[in-house]
Amino acid sequence: MKLVIDESRCKGCNLCVLVCPYGIFQEGSELNQRGIAVPRLDRPERCTNCRLQHLYGRLLCGMCQMICPDQAIRWVEEEPFEPHSVVVEF
Amino acid sequence: MTAEEWYRADRLPHIYCAGCGNGTVINCTLAAVEELGWRREETVFISGIGCSSRAPGYILTDSLHTTHGRALAFATGVKLANPGLNVVVFTGDGDLAAIGGNHFIHACRRNVDMTVVCMNNMIYGMTGGQGSPTTPPGAFSTTTPYGSGEPAFDLAELAIAAGANYVARWTSYHVKELVKAIAAGMRTPGLSFVEVMTQCPTNYGRHNRLRRVSDMIEYLRTHALLVQKKERLVQEGKTVPDEMFTVGELVRRNRPAMGVRR
Ligand SMILES: Cc1ncc(C[n+]2csc(CCOP(=O)(O)OP(=O)(O)O)c2C)c(N)n1
Ligand code: SF4
Ligand code: SF4
Repeated sequence: MKLVIDESRCKGCNLCVLVCPYGIFQEGSELNQRGIAVPRLDRPERCTNCRLQHLYGRLLCGMCQMICPDQAIRWVEEEPFEPHSVVVEF
Repeated sequence: MTAEEWYRADRLPHIYCAGCGNGTVINCTLAAVEELGWRREETVFISGIGCSSRAPGYILTDSLHTTHGRALAFATGVKLANPGLNVVVFTGDGDLAAIGGNHFIHACRRNVDMTVVCMNNMIYGMTGGQGSPTTPPGAFSTTTPYGSGEPAFDLAELAIAAGANYVARWTSYHVKELVKAIAAGMRTPGLSFVEVMTQCPTNYGRHNRLRRVSDMIEYLRTHALLVQKKERLVQEGKTVPDEMFTVGELVRRNRPAMGVRR
Protein backbone atom coordinates (compact mmCIF):
# COMPACT_ATOMS: atom_id res chain seq x y z
CA MET A 1 0.00 0.00 0.00
CA LYS A 2 1.10 3.54 -0.67
CA LEU A 3 0.31 6.70 1.31
CA VAL A 4 -0.87 9.61 -0.84
CA ILE A 5 -2.15 13.14 -0.25
CA ASP A 6 -4.86 14.27 -2.63
CA GLU A 7 -3.59 17.68 -3.78
CA SER A 8 -7.01 18.70 -5.00
CA ARG A 9 -8.37 18.49 -1.44
CA CYS A 10 -5.49 19.34 0.91
CA LYS A 11 -5.61 22.86 2.40
CA GLY A 12 -2.15 22.69 3.97
CA CYS A 13 -3.22 22.88 7.62
CA ASN A 14 -0.37 20.57 8.69
CA LEU A 15 -2.47 18.63 11.20
CA CYS A 16 -1.04 15.43 9.71
CA VAL A 17 2.47 16.74 10.49
CA LEU A 18 1.39 17.11 14.10
CA VAL A 19 0.02 13.61 14.66
CA CYS A 20 2.08 11.10 12.64
CA PRO A 21 4.13 9.09 15.16
CA TYR A 22 6.81 8.42 12.53
CA GLY A 23 7.15 12.03 11.40
CA ILE A 24 6.40 11.04 7.83
CA PHE A 25 4.66 14.32 7.00
CA GLN A 26 6.91 17.35 6.72
CA GLU A 27 5.60 20.88 6.35
CA GLY A 28 5.57 21.79 2.67
CA SER A 29 7.23 24.91 1.35
CA GLU A 30 6.33 24.99 -2.33
CA LEU A 31 2.91 26.19 -3.39
CA ASN A 32 0.95 24.01 -5.81
CA GLN A 33 -1.28 25.41 -8.53
CA ARG A 34 -4.07 25.99 -5.97
CA GLY A 35 -1.69 28.11 -3.89
CA ILE A 36 -1.36 25.54 -1.13
CA ALA A 37 1.82 24.21 0.46
CA VAL A 38 0.96 20.51 0.64
CA PRO A 39 3.10 18.56 3.15
CA ARG A 40 5.95 16.46 1.77
CA LEU A 41 6.15 12.78 2.57
CA ASP A 42 9.43 11.66 4.11
CA ARG A 43 10.00 7.95 3.38
CA PRO A 44 6.30 7.04 3.54
CA GLU A 45 7.11 3.33 3.32
CA ARG A 46 7.84 3.52 7.05
CA CYS A 47 4.11 3.92 7.73
CA THR A 48 2.74 0.83 9.55
CA ASN A 49 -0.40 0.92 7.50
CA CYS A 50 1.54 0.86 4.20
CA ARG A 51 3.42 -2.23 5.29
CA LEU A 52 0.96 -4.21 7.37
CA GLN A 53 -2.61 -3.33 6.41
CA HIS A 54 -2.98 -6.33 4.12
CA LEU A 55 -1.40 -8.68 6.65
CA TYR A 56 -3.75 -7.63 9.45
CA GLY A 57 -6.74 -7.04 7.20
CA ARG A 58 -7.62 -3.74 8.91
CA LEU A 59 -6.53 -0.14 9.21
CA LEU A 60 -3.56 0.32 11.54
CA CYS A 61 -2.82 3.66 13.22
CA GLY A 62 -4.58 5.83 10.63
CA MET A 63 -4.23 8.95 12.81
CA CYS A 64 -3.37 11.23 9.88
CA GLN A 65 -6.34 10.07 7.84
CA MET A 66 -8.76 10.42 10.75
CA ILE A 67 -7.62 13.90 11.76
CA CYS A 68 -7.24 15.29 8.20
CA PRO A 69 -10.18 17.74 8.12
CA ASP A 70 -10.16 17.70 4.33
CA GLN A 71 -10.36 13.97 3.65
CA ALA A 72 -7.13 14.25 1.64
CA ILE A 73 -5.13 11.29 2.94
CA ARG A 74 -5.55 7.75 1.70
CA TRP A 75 -3.73 4.55 0.93
CA VAL A 76 -3.73 3.22 -2.58
CA GLU A 77 -2.70 -0.14 -3.95
CA GLU A 78 0.76 -0.16 -5.41
CA GLU A 79 1.82 -1.41 -8.77
CA PRO A 80 3.48 -4.75 -8.22
CA PHE A 81 7.26 -4.54 -7.88
CA GLU A 82 7.42 -0.78 -7.40
CA PRO A 83 10.97 -0.32 -6.08
CA HIS A 84 11.48 1.23 -2.67
CA SER A 85 13.94 1.18 0.14
CA VAL A 86 12.75 0.23 3.59
CA VAL A 87 14.54 1.60 6.61
CA VAL A 88 14.03 -0.55 9.67
CA GLU A 89 14.10 1.47 12.86
CA PHE A 90 14.83 -0.09 16.25
CA MET B 1 -10.03 8.38 3.79
CA THR B 2 -12.40 6.84 6.28
CA ALA B 3 -15.82 5.94 5.00
CA GLU B 4 -14.97 7.22 1.52
CA GLU B 5 -18.22 6.02 0.05
CA TRP B 6 -20.28 8.06 2.55
CA TYR B 7 -18.84 11.34 1.30
CA ARG B 8 -20.25 13.36 -1.58
CA ALA B 9 -16.93 13.47 -3.41
CA ASP B 10 -18.29 15.99 -5.92
CA ARG B 11 -18.78 18.50 -3.06
CA LEU B 12 -15.22 18.22 -1.74
CA PRO B 13 -13.11 20.10 -0.81
CA HIS B 14 -15.64 21.56 1.61
CA ILE B 15 -15.94 25.23 2.54
CA TYR B 16 -14.29 24.94 5.96
CA CYS B 17 -11.17 26.98 6.60
CA ALA B 18 -7.78 25.28 6.56
CA GLY B 19 -7.36 23.42 9.83
CA CYS B 20 -11.00 23.74 10.95
CA GLY B 21 -11.92 20.88 13.28
CA ASN B 22 -15.34 20.34 11.74
CA GLY B 23 -13.96 18.11 8.97
CA THR B 24 -12.29 15.88 11.55
CA VAL B 25 -15.57 15.49 13.42
CA ILE B 26 -17.32 14.38 10.21
CA ASN B 27 -14.56 11.79 9.69
CA CYS B 28 -15.03 10.46 13.21
CA THR B 29 -18.81 10.35 12.97
CA LEU B 30 -18.68 8.44 9.70
CA ALA B 31 -16.08 6.06 11.16
CA ALA B 32 -18.53 5.32 13.98
CA VAL B 33 -21.35 4.83 11.48
CA GLU B 34 -19.19 2.33 9.61
CA GLU B 35 -18.33 0.54 12.83
CA LEU B 36 -22.03 0.07 13.48
CA GLY B 37 -22.67 -1.10 9.95
CA TRP B 38 -25.54 1.35 9.34
CA ARG B 39 -26.93 1.50 5.84
CA ARG B 40 -27.16 4.73 3.89
CA GLU B 41 -30.88 4.34 3.09
CA GLU B 42 -31.68 4.07 6.82
CA THR B 43 -29.61 6.98 8.03
CA VAL B 44 -30.55 10.67 8.15
CA PHE B 45 -28.24 13.55 9.07
CA ILE B 46 -29.90 16.73 10.32
CA SER B 47 -28.45 20.13 11.15
CA GLY B 48 -29.34 23.76 11.79
CA ILE B 49 -27.30 26.74 10.62
CA GLY B 50 -23.60 27.45 11.11
CA CYS B 51 -20.28 26.17 9.79
CA SER B 52 -20.73 22.97 11.77
CA SER B 53 -24.25 22.62 10.44
CA ARG B 54 -23.02 22.39 6.86
CA ALA B 55 -21.72 18.90 7.60
CA PRO B 56 -24.73 16.89 6.31
CA GLY B 57 -24.28 18.56 2.91
CA TYR B 58 -21.10 16.57 2.41
CA ILE B 59 -22.64 13.21 3.21
CA LEU B 60 -24.42 10.96 0.73
CA THR B 61 -27.58 10.21 2.68
CA ASP B 62 -30.91 11.92 3.05
CA SER B 63 -30.40 15.02 5.14
CA LEU B 64 -32.14 18.13 6.42
CA HIS B 65 -30.33 21.46 6.67
CA THR B 66 -32.94 23.28 8.74
CA THR B 67 -33.40 26.74 10.22
CA HIS B 68 -31.06 28.12 12.85
CA GLY B 69 -31.46 26.32 16.18
CA ARG B 70 -34.26 24.01 15.05
CA ALA B 71 -32.30 20.90 14.08
CA LEU B 72 -33.52 18.97 17.11
CA ALA B 73 -37.15 19.87 16.48
CA PHE B 74 -36.92 18.55 12.90
CA ALA B 75 -34.97 15.50 14.09
CA THR B 76 -37.62 14.71 16.70
CA GLY B 77 -40.22 14.80 13.93
CA VAL B 78 -38.21 12.51 11.67
CA LYS B 79 -37.54 9.98 14.41
CA LEU B 80 -41.11 9.86 15.72
CA ALA B 81 -42.57 9.59 12.21
CA ASN B 82 -40.26 6.72 11.31
CA PRO B 83 -38.48 5.09 14.25
CA GLY B 84 -36.78 2.75 11.80
CA LEU B 85 -34.38 5.51 10.76
CA ASN B 86 -31.01 6.20 12.38
CA VAL B 87 -30.98 9.91 13.16
CA VAL B 88 -27.80 11.91 13.69
CA VAL B 89 -27.80 15.65 14.37
CA PHE B 90 -24.78 17.88 13.67
CA THR B 91 -24.94 21.19 15.45
CA GLY B 92 -22.78 24.04 16.73
CA ASP B 93 -22.58 25.66 20.13
CA GLY B 94 -24.54 28.70 18.94
CA ASP B 95 -27.08 26.61 17.08
CA LEU B 96 -27.65 24.22 19.99
CA ALA B 97 -27.17 26.32 23.10
CA ALA B 98 -28.11 29.87 22.11
CA ILE B 99 -31.03 30.03 19.68
CA GLY B 100 -31.77 26.30 20.04
CA GLY B 101 -31.41 26.06 23.81
CA ASN B 102 -35.02 25.18 24.53
CA HIS B 103 -35.15 22.48 21.87
CA PHE B 104 -32.00 21.03 23.39
CA ILE B 105 -33.32 20.66 26.94
CA HIS B 106 -36.64 19.25 25.78
CA ALA B 107 -35.09 16.77 23.35
CA CYS B 108 -32.97 15.55 26.30
CA ARG B 109 -36.02 15.44 28.56
CA ARG B 110 -38.01 13.48 26.01
CA ASN B 111 -34.93 11.34 25.46
CA VAL B 112 -35.67 10.94 21.76
CA ASP B 113 -33.58 8.11 20.30
CA MET B 114 -30.93 9.93 18.28
CA THR B 115 -27.30 10.97 18.40
CA VAL B 116 -26.43 14.65 18.72
CA VAL B 117 -22.88 15.65 17.81
CA CYS B 118 -22.15 19.23 18.87
CA MET B 119 -19.05 20.84 17.41
CA ASN B 120 -18.31 23.34 20.15
CA ASN B 121 -15.80 25.87 18.85
CA MET B 122 -16.70 28.35 21.59
CA ILE B 123 -17.70 31.03 19.04
CA TYR B 124 -20.10 31.86 16.22
CA GLY B 125 -17.81 30.83 13.37
CA MET B 126 -19.98 31.41 10.33
CA THR B 127 -21.06 34.97 11.13
CA GLY B 128 -17.57 36.24 11.88
CA GLY B 129 -16.68 35.47 15.47
CA GLN B 130 -19.35 36.74 17.87
CA GLY B 131 -19.32 35.35 21.40
CA SER B 132 -21.51 32.30 22.05
CA PRO B 133 -22.92 30.85 25.30
CA THR B 134 -19.83 28.64 25.52
CA THR B 135 -17.21 31.36 25.02
CA PRO B 136 -14.96 30.96 28.08
CA PRO B 137 -14.74 33.84 30.59
CA GLY B 138 -12.04 36.26 29.52
CA ALA B 139 -11.99 35.07 25.89
CA PHE B 140 -12.08 37.66 23.12
CA SER B 141 -14.56 37.78 20.27
CA THR B 142 -16.09 40.55 18.17
CA THR B 143 -18.88 41.01 20.75
CA THR B 144 -16.57 40.65 23.78
CA PRO B 145 -13.74 43.02 22.83
CA TYR B 146 -12.61 43.36 26.47
CA GLY B 147 -12.86 39.64 27.20
CA SER B 148 -16.08 37.78 27.97
CA GLY B 149 -17.48 38.73 31.35
CA GLU B 150 -19.98 35.88 31.53
CA PRO B 151 -19.65 32.32 32.77
CA ALA B 152 -19.81 29.73 29.97
CA PHE B 153 -22.45 27.02 29.57
CA ASP B 154 -21.33 23.46 30.24
CA LEU B 155 -23.39 21.72 27.56
CA ALA B 156 -22.61 18.19 28.72
CA GLU B 157 -23.75 18.98 32.28
CA LEU B 158 -26.89 20.54 30.83
CA ALA B 159 -27.65 17.38 28.84
CA ILE B 160 -27.12 15.23 31.93
CA ALA B 161 -29.40 17.40 34.04
CA ALA B 162 -32.06 17.42 31.33
CA GLY B 163 -32.07 13.62 31.05
CA ALA B 164 -30.04 12.40 28.05
CA ASN B 165 -29.21 8.70 28.23
CA TYR B 166 -25.62 9.01 27.03
CA VAL B 167 -23.33 12.01 27.40
CA ALA B 168 -19.65 12.26 26.49
CA ARG B 169 -17.20 15.00 25.69
CA TRP B 170 -13.98 14.82 23.66
CA THR B 171 -12.03 17.11 21.39
CA SER B 172 -11.22 17.05 17.69
CA TYR B 173 -7.67 16.12 18.69
CA HIS B 174 -8.73 12.91 20.50
CA VAL B 175 -9.96 11.22 17.33
CA LYS B 176 -9.84 7.57 18.40
CA GLU B 177 -11.63 8.24 21.68
CA LEU B 178 -14.17 10.36 19.83
CA VAL B 179 -15.03 7.56 17.39
CA LYS B 180 -15.55 5.18 20.31
CA ALA B 181 -17.74 7.70 22.13
CA ILE B 182 -19.93 8.44 19.10
CA ALA B 183 -20.32 4.71 18.40
CA ALA B 184 -21.26 4.08 22.04
CA GLY B 185 -23.77 6.91 21.81
CA MET B 186 -25.28 5.48 18.64
CA ARG B 187 -25.69 2.09 20.36
CA THR B 188 -27.44 3.61 23.39
CA PRO B 189 -31.23 3.91 23.04
CA GLY B 190 -32.45 7.40 23.86
CA LEU B 191 -30.75 10.72 23.26
CA SER B 192 -26.97 10.52 23.06
CA PHE B 193 -25.10 13.78 23.31
CA VAL B 194 -21.47 13.96 22.25
CA GLU B 195 -19.86 17.35 22.67
CA VAL B 196 -16.70 17.84 20.65
CA MET B 197 -14.45 20.77 21.50
CA THR B 198 -13.16 21.84 18.10
CA GLN B 199 -10.70 24.39 16.83
CA CYS B 200 -11.85 27.43 14.86
CA PRO B 201 -8.49 28.98 14.02
CA THR B 202 -10.13 31.65 11.87
CA ASN B 203 -12.49 33.21 14.36
CA TYR B 204 -11.70 31.88 17.83
CA GLY B 205 -7.98 31.48 17.29
CA ARG B 206 -7.48 34.81 15.60
CA HIS B 207 -9.02 36.74 18.48
CA ASN B 208 -7.30 34.75 21.20
CA ARG B 209 -3.66 34.51 20.11
CA LEU B 210 -4.18 30.97 18.89
CA ARG B 211 -4.11 31.73 15.22
CA ARG B 212 -2.01 28.76 14.17
CA VAL B 213 -3.86 25.47 13.99
CA SER B 214 -1.17 23.82 16.10
CA ASP B 215 -1.71 26.43 18.85
CA MET B 216 -5.43 25.69 18.94
CA ILE B 217 -4.77 21.94 19.07
CA GLU B 218 -2.33 22.52 21.92
CA TYR B 219 -5.04 24.52 23.70
CA LEU B 220 -7.54 21.65 23.34
CA ARG B 221 -4.98 19.06 24.40
CA THR B 222 -3.81 20.92 27.50
CA HIS B 223 -7.29 22.02 28.62
CA ALA B 224 -8.87 18.56 28.44
CA LEU B 225 -9.14 16.90 31.84
CA LEU B 226 -10.04 13.21 31.89
CA VAL B 227 -13.14 12.65 34.01
CA GLN B 228 -11.44 9.91 36.08
CA LYS B 229 -8.59 12.28 36.83
CA LYS B 230 -11.03 14.99 37.83
CA GLU B 231 -12.78 12.61 40.22
CA ARG B 232 -9.41 11.74 41.75
CA LEU B 233 -8.62 15.42 42.23
CA VAL B 234 -11.98 15.95 43.93
CA GLN B 235 -11.47 12.92 46.19
CA GLU B 236 -8.05 14.16 47.23
CA GLY B 237 -9.59 17.52 48.03
CA LYS B 238 -7.51 19.31 45.39
CA THR B 239 -8.88 22.13 43.28
CA VAL B 240 -9.98 21.42 39.74
CA PRO B 241 -8.60 24.18 37.45
CA ASP B 242 -11.44 26.44 36.30
CA GLU B 243 -10.28 26.81 32.73
CA MET B 244 -10.22 23.06 32.03
CA PHE B 245 -13.10 21.00 30.65
CA THR B 246 -13.72 17.35 31.50
CA VAL B 247 -13.47 14.77 28.75
CA GLY B 248 -14.60 11.16 28.69
CA GLU B 249 -17.86 9.30 29.12
CA LEU B 250 -19.88 11.39 31.54
CA VAL B 251 -23.16 9.46 31.71
CA ARG B 252 -24.63 6.22 30.42
CA ARG B 253 -28.02 5.24 31.79
CA ASN B 254 -31.34 3.78 30.91
CA ARG B 255 -34.12 6.31 31.36
CA PRO B 256 -37.31 5.67 29.35
CA ALA B 257 -36.77 6.81 25.75
CA MET B 258 -39.00 7.86 22.85
CA GLY B 259 -38.87 6.77 19.25
CA VAL B 260 -36.82 3.63 19.86
CA ARG B 261 -37.01 1.12 17.00
CA ARG B 262 -39.09 -1.91 17.94
C1 LIG C 1 -32.86 32.95 12.91
C2 LIG C 1 -31.43 33.26 12.62
N1 LIG C 1 -30.74 34.08 13.43
C3 LIG C 1 -29.44 34.34 13.20
C4 LIG C 1 -28.80 33.80 12.13
C5 LIG C 1 -27.35 34.13 11.85
N2 LIG C 1 -26.44 33.06 12.16
C6 LIG C 1 -26.02 32.21 11.21
S1 LIG C 1 -24.91 31.08 11.77
C7 LIG C 1 -24.99 31.74 13.34
C8 LIG C 1 -24.16 31.21 14.47
C9 LIG C 1 -23.63 29.85 14.30
O1 LIG C 1 -22.81 29.52 15.36
P1 LIG C 1 -22.54 28.02 15.75
O2 LIG C 1 -23.81 27.28 15.86
O3 LIG C 1 -21.65 28.04 16.94
O4 LIG C 1 -21.80 27.42 14.49
P2 LIG C 1 -20.33 27.59 13.94
O5 LIG C 1 -20.46 28.47 12.74
O6 LIG C 1 -19.48 28.19 15.01
O7 LIG C 1 -19.90 26.21 13.58
C10 LIG C 1 -25.87 32.83 13.39
C11 LIG C 1 -26.13 33.62 14.60
C12 LIG C 1 -29.55 32.95 11.28
N3 LIG C 1 -28.98 32.36 10.22
N4 LIG C 1 -30.86 32.71 11.53
S1 SF4 D 1 -4.13 17.18 7.47
FE1 SF4 D 1 -4.98 16.95 5.41
S2 SF4 D 1 -5.48 19.04 4.72
FE2 SF4 D 1 -4.09 19.23 6.48
S3 SF4 D 1 -2.03 19.35 5.55
FE3 SF4 D 1 -2.38 17.19 6.04
S4 SF4 D 1 -3.24 16.31 4.15
FE4 SF4 D 1 -3.41 18.56 3.95
S1 SF4 E 1 -15.01 30.10 10.59
FE1 SF4 E 1 -14.24 28.68 12.14
S2 SF4 E 1 -15.83 27.10 12.32
FE2 SF4 E 1 -16.19 28.21 10.38
S3 SF4 E 1 -15.09 26.98 8.82
FE3 SF4 E 1 -13.69 28.59 9.54
S4 SF4 E 1 -12.50 27.61 11.18
FE4 SF4 E 1 -14.33 26.36 10.83
